[in-house]
Amino acid sequence: MLKRTLVANRGEIACRILRACKEAGIEGIAIHAANDAGTLFTELADLAIQLEGEDLRETYLNQKQIIDIAIANDCDSIHPGFGFLSERADFAQAVMDAGLIWVGPSPEAITKMGDKMTARITMKAAGVPVIPGVEVDGGLEEVLAVAPSVGYPLLLKATAGGGGKGMRAVHDEADLESEAKAAMREALNAFGDDRVYVERLLTGSRHIEIQILADKFGRTIHLGERECSVQRRHQKVFEESPSVALDAELREAMGEAACAAAAAVDYEGAGTVEFLVTPKGEFFFLEMNTRIQVEHPVTEMVTGVDLVREQLRIAGGKPMSCGSLSMRGHAIEVRLYAEDPSNNFLPAIGQLKRFVAPTGPGVRLDTGVREGDAVTPNYDPMLAKLIVWAPSREEALQRMGRALDEFVVLGCTTNLRFLRELCDHPDVVDGWTTTDMIERLWPDGWNPNIEPLIDDAGLLIAAACQSSNHGRTISTGSGFSQTPSPFFTINRRLP
Amino acid sequence: MEFKTAGNRVEIEPQRDGSTFVHKGMTLHMGDELWLEISGRKHKATATKVGDVWWVHILGHTLQFEMVEPGATGADNDSGLTAPMPGKILDVLVSEGQSVSSGDALMIMEAMKMEHKIVSGQDGVIESIFFNTGDQVEQGTVLLSIK
Repeated sequence: MLKRTLVANRGEIACRILRACKEAGIEGIAIHAANDAGTLFTELADLAIQLEGEDLRETYLNQKQIIDIAIANDCDSIHPGFGFLSERADFAQAVMDAGLIWVGPSPEAITKMGDKMTARITMKAAGVPVIPGVEVDGGLEEVLAVAPSVGYPLLLKATAGGGGKGMRAVHDEADLESEAKAAMREALNAFGDDRVYVERLLTGSRHIEIQILADKFGRTIHLGERECSVQRRHQKVFEESPSVALDAELREAMGEAACAAAAAVDYEGAGTVEFLVTPKGEFFFLEMNTRIQVEHPVTEMVTGVDLVREQLRIAGGKPMSCGSLSMRGHAIEVRLYAEDPSNNFLPAIGQLKRFVAPTGPGVRLDTGVREGDAVTPNYDPMLAKLIVWAPSREEALQRMGRALDEFVVLGCTTNLRFLRELCDHPDVVDGWTTTDMIERLWPDGWNPNIEPLIDDAGLLIAAACQSSNHGRTISTGSGFSQTPSPFFTINRRLP
Repeated sequence: MEFKTAGNRVEIEPQRDGSTFVHKGMTLHMGDELWLEISGRKHKATATKVGDVWWVHILGHTLQFEMVEPGATGADNDSGLTAPMPGKILDVLVSEGQSVSSGDALMIMEAMKMEHKIVSGQDGVIESIFFNTGDQVEQGTVLLSIK
């Protein structure tokens, strides 16, 4: 059983983990950079400690400083969240060498899955199908040399990659060299490793992943799938479970392959095995994410399992608590990004002057921001994840549409409207979601579909607000709120 | 009253009656809360001003209306290309005096750990380049100019 866990992360996922710690009776310690002082996750922690240093390398990526803080504050464990140090085997090893519990799989498992080439080779050996392609050991010349044998369209991927960084689709040989250079440069900047490899781009495929849990008692289970096909710039924006593309038979086959993949590296904790599923129903191993994933709430909603609690339980040496599982209803998650979808999804910054989240039945919001917070270019532009659950897919889409209509974010450009239009798009309604759908549906970029009535309404509101100086003075309504009235006091005591 | 929205200039003179404003058959009731009435149905609106821009949320849409000061000229001169985000210049793909076409990539910059292409919005000749590879730039900085 863990007693005191340091959360080596920030923002939304730090909030998620710190809340789980509180519920599990574990003390949660937050670490934060100076520019994160006073943000939501630091308030949810039992203790928040400011990191020294300026940039990421000196703060959230500073292994030594983080471990020193954990030891100095009597922590017994470190939860890495996702991103940052979560898939760094050397960090996992250093945490364990310091006598702390690492909430995650072994450094060996992270290494085997973290290097995409090694992962491919390991999976091939375990009998898990992989995408046709060539593993190259880096170097621009070698990439150029093997590309013809893979054929076009092809995909260049950073060997050390993830999150769409260092990934480039090449449809034409003429673009290969410039795209390969860009992929290598981006990979070097993001991961400190410019190796890329080449694989066949499977157009019209779906991105479907299987959540797994494995404990120290030899039990490895899968918790069904998440379909995450709707992506922009290889980053997911819309995730759901179950997938319309899987029947019970395919789900079981993919679940078994995912468990085999986990077993091949003696996996422990929560992990995700990602697959591409072709229109013909073949599936290929993409990669395994050896950490909790952004879209984990979707699985939590349909299975009823608290994945972060299970992570903490398994790391504490207990068997996982879930028995035999069944999937119930339908869950959808959308990612609210500070970005401009009508300008190639360019990240945006600003102050969240208004941030009013939707509520109501079946609605869950995982966020690390509040009204008034500034969105800065220092960190990832994801502001929140909005998750809904409903008995059926149709009702889940309707609920998501309703919730997105209620969501007010003013002061920083977001992709809210893009997400809202997705919920009504015939391809999404029909379940025809593929990884290339955003480029397929909006080859020249997306622009909001605004009826003239909406423009006129907005203009009226802006003009009226300007004329009345709306919001400039805090209106108290009447004298009562300034001078406490005895009636108000009496009212408060009534049920 | 004049606003700029989505690149267009629009004028409006709503009819005002106390705290009620009317425009094209819609009625807005102003108070601590904003209620818009269209064809007998009411819809809650939210609005806040950031700088010169009114941000408005209505019927699931988020719109921006920038106040245009009376007397400002209608011509927008956008031939300078500005950094959309604070970040670092990774590569300069053109040189001064070079002819470019609309859609050509001019610079590559890194912001929020992602690469972004700065693309020409017009045909023309590169007049000046103000930054080199490796330079840090602030949001809104003019990166280069095109004649």
